[in-house]
Amino acid sequence: MTTFVARRLLLLPLVAFGVTILIFALLQFLTPAQRAALFVTDPRQLSQIDAIIRKYGLDKPVHVQYWTWLKQLAQGDLGWSQTARMPTSTALATFFPATLELTIYIFIPVVLIGLWLGTKAAVRKDQFVDHFSRFFAISLRGLPSFVWGLIVLMVFYGWLNWFPPGRLSLDADLFVKSPEFHRYTRLMTVDALLNGQPWIFVDALRHIVGPAMTLVLVEMALIVRITRSSMLEVLRQDYVRTARAKGLAEPVVINRHARKNALIPVVTLTSLIFVGLLGGVVLAETIFNYPGIGKWGAEAAVQLDIPGVTGFGMFIALVTVVGNLAADILYAAIDPRIRLQ
Amino acid sequence: MSLKRRLLMLLVFTLAVALTGVNGVAQGQAVKNPDTLIVQSFGDVATLDPAVAYDTVSSGTFLWNIYETLIFFNGGRTDLYEPMLATEVPNVANGGISADGKTYTFKIRQGVKFHDGSVMTTDDVRYSLMRFMLLDADGGPSWILLASILGFDVQSTRDDNGKLLPDIWDRVNQAIQVKGNSVVITLKDPYGPFLNIMASWSMVVSKRFVVKNGGWDGAKTNVAQYNNPPKPEDATLFDKSDGTGPFKLDSWDHATGNVTLTRFDGYWRAPAKLSRIVIQKVEEFGPRRLALQNGDADIIDVSRADQPAVTGISGVRIVDDLAQLSTNNALFMNLNVNAEGNPDIGTGKLDGNGIPPNFFSDVHVRRAFAHLFDRQAFIDQALRGKGRIANGPIPFGMLGYNPRGKWYEVSKDKAIAEFKEAWGGQVWNNGFKFSVLYNSGNVTRQTEAQMVKEAAESLNPKFKIDTRGVTWSSILGLMNQKKLPMFIIGWAADYADPDNFAVPFMHSTGTYPGRQSYKNPEADRLIEQAGKETDAKKREALYFRIQEIAYQDVPTIYTAYPTAFVVMRSWVKGWYHNPMFFQTWQDAYRLSKGQ
Repeated sequence: MTTFVARRLLLLPLVAFGVTILIFALLQFLTPAQRAALFVTDPRQLSQIDAIIRKYGLDKPVHVQYWTWLKQLAQGDLGWSQTARMPTSTALATFFPATLELTIYIFIPVVLIGLWLGTKAAVRKDQFVDHFSRFFAISLRGLPSFVWGLIVLMVFYGWLNWFPPGRLSLDADLFVKSPEFHRYTRLMTVDALLNGQPWIFVDALRHIVGPAMTLVLVEMALIVRITRSSMLEVLRQDYVRTARAKGLAEPVVINRHARKNALIPVVTLTSLIFVGLLGGVVLAETIFNYPGIGKWGAEAAVQLDIPGVTGFGMFIALVTVVGNLAADILYAAIDPRIRLQ
Repeated sequence: MSLKRRLLMLLVFTLAVALTGVNGVAQGQAVKNPDTLIVQSFGDVATLDPAVAYDTVSSGTFLWNIYETLIFFNGGRTDLYEPMLATEVPNVANGGISADGKTYTFKIRQGVKFHDGSVMTTDDVRYSLMRFMLLDADGGPSWILLASILGFDVQSTRDDNGKLLPDIWDRVNQAIQVKGNSVVITLKDPYGPFLNIMASWSMVVSKRFVVKNGGWDGAKTNVAQYNNPPKPEDATLFDKSDGTGPFKLDSWDHATGNVTLTRFDGYWRAPAKLSRIVIQKVEEFGPRRLALQNGDADIIDVSRADQPAVTGISGVRIVDDLAQLSTNNALFMNLNVNAEGNPDIGTGKLDGNGIPPNFFSDVHVRRAFAHLFDRQAFIDQALRGKGRIANGPIPFGMLGYNPRGKWYEVSKDKAIAEFKEAWGGQVWNNGFKFSVLYNSGNVTRQTEAQMVKEAAESLNPKFKIDTRGVTWSSILGLMNQKKLPMFIIGWAADYADPDNFAVPFMHSTGTYPGRQSYKNPEADRLIEQAGKETDAKKREALYFRIQEIAYQDVPTIYTAYPTAFVVMRSWVKGWYHNPMFFQTWQDAYRLSKGQ
């Protein structure tokens, strides 16, 4: 087990290295002036394009630029992200906690409700719950998340004024920036409780509900469908029939015998969802003006913010490797037949 | 964003308006956050250093709120000034401007305090101007003072290899002197727009504060070390400030892009009415629109296309038809296209499937397109009727704009006649194919490109034009390589003077002529002469002649001088417009909130 984990973690630098090479290789398709677009946003700056290209070494061959970047990296410097207006490493440390917090508030309801509803649908196949969950899942997945986002925003902010966009309201934001407030974890709801400020907790939560609700609706549908089909398959297995024949109570059969075995595909999917959410949910973050990593990553990509994109790419590689590792470990925990080697 | 997505969003939003219209904050309801002005804009601040910032969001945030200039615009006027950090506006009568038009003397106001409590001195003023010129970050605004003070040929503090000019500090030091309570600036050549430049670009910073924070101390010995800071954050005032303005910087939250300013109680005039200004970055229109409706934002950015979605919300005021100093969405033709691997000129020959690189060097081709383009139809369709027909580089409302300036009438027959004359008749007989490029996402420019295409293709079945929306970075890349045969872009003023329009559009060293291979020595000469001329009447005559050349040569088809509009809660009081303001709230000193 330990060797397995260690070996997988050793892969990490390799994956990160590969990602950065890929990003730099893609840069070869762009001319230096295109790459200068990041710094020239106004026609008034057009006359200085050549100076900007020279200043940032944008006309140097791509391997030279890569080497310069690697040398910087060796000193722990990921470069300056022009889109974030801060060093890339600081940008990651700033935007990731916001996304992590959002992810947690999405992930827990997605898994709990998804599993519950999926199981119910399988057990009561072709009954009301099953039809309802199918209708629910298909209609939710049927619309893109930005449409759900706008509807949620419109109803819960525009109409009811319950869940405003952003991360904090004006007063809460001012308080959080004051020296009285300590940022322990950078997860706003957690920090609010640690500081003994329940009103900040409530305020932060109000801002999370909008994007969280949007994504819970969309992501949960997948879990419901997969859990259902996986459960249906398991419920047909001989050992389930045996368990029932032994006279075991139905909840024990369902929860202990059947569901545990039905979980493998669900875990795979869940880990993918988790990693995907951590990578940032661009549309929800943008619509709700939530300062997460996805919103920044997308902006960095669109504006050709090279240090930003490279840093973001490496970070996503890391999250993906760790996420998959966690899924592998979970497989072994759920199914004793799977051994990690 | 793709058109489909935009449309879908618009649809959902119309629904939102229908759903929530009745629930908007009713008029007469208590003012939300009565002493805080909340602005939601779609861009964010790039830097708060006044010597580096050269975009409207950044400058618009600190200019006149955190930092002040020696003189300021009088109300909505761009050609009349009032004293600010100087005690009077220099003119020849009061001895502030020398008879030869080269020396400007600014008497500096005494007892003005910086935000840190220290008192502003003439030395701070001199230092601020020198710092603005010598910091000279690539892509920054330093050239504005360099060129106006040291002469038109000094656009940078560095040579072509990026090395600091050895005598630049001496020249700047020589040009800006302290005499008693005055700061005296000596220009190399008389320069008409100088006062106008000073009204926008003479921001005063505290030298003590800059030095204390590790910045340049004004010495010649280490100027190279501070010149052209490698990263934006290396400029000392990137995210901290010490100015004399009515508001001081409270915070710039990089994560959200929000900037908070608070009232400075030691201000030299009576303190501002607002106690706080919060500028929030909200990229999507949807949340901005809802925040305005709920009263969570007082002023929001709205594009012309989105204007209907904010019309009719109760408690919201829209002021439209505001003059803007911009010549926008002009149609540029490239007289000598770089043909290397260039798909936008097809075969590169006049065979009906392309154009030769010098296709537009024939003035008949250019005139034909000028006759084809219906400027009024464009204004009606793309600008919702908000704009004035353009006839040259200098916008309406500025000295040098010629209301009787000639332009080509819209006429298919005349266009056909010009096409038949072009290239010895080959254009008409063989046809052509090329692309018009614009930055994707800009719906106005997309419409314009489409109009050119339809007008040309309706004349002759052999005429083919592709409209191509590409990313901003691609436009920039291709323009710099002179690969664009025809492209659409605009220009907004750095300072309210015709020179700032004549040069970028018509001077061979200007921003656009270089990228469209256009050079007319007569135009160059007139522009240089007009820049030095101090007599307004004579200057105007010179600019009229430049307009005449712009009409005769027609390297560029001017389409419109668009007007602007602002959207704010009705409870915002004290607002007024000056065409030189980058942002609606730029003179926040006069703003307040109340029923």
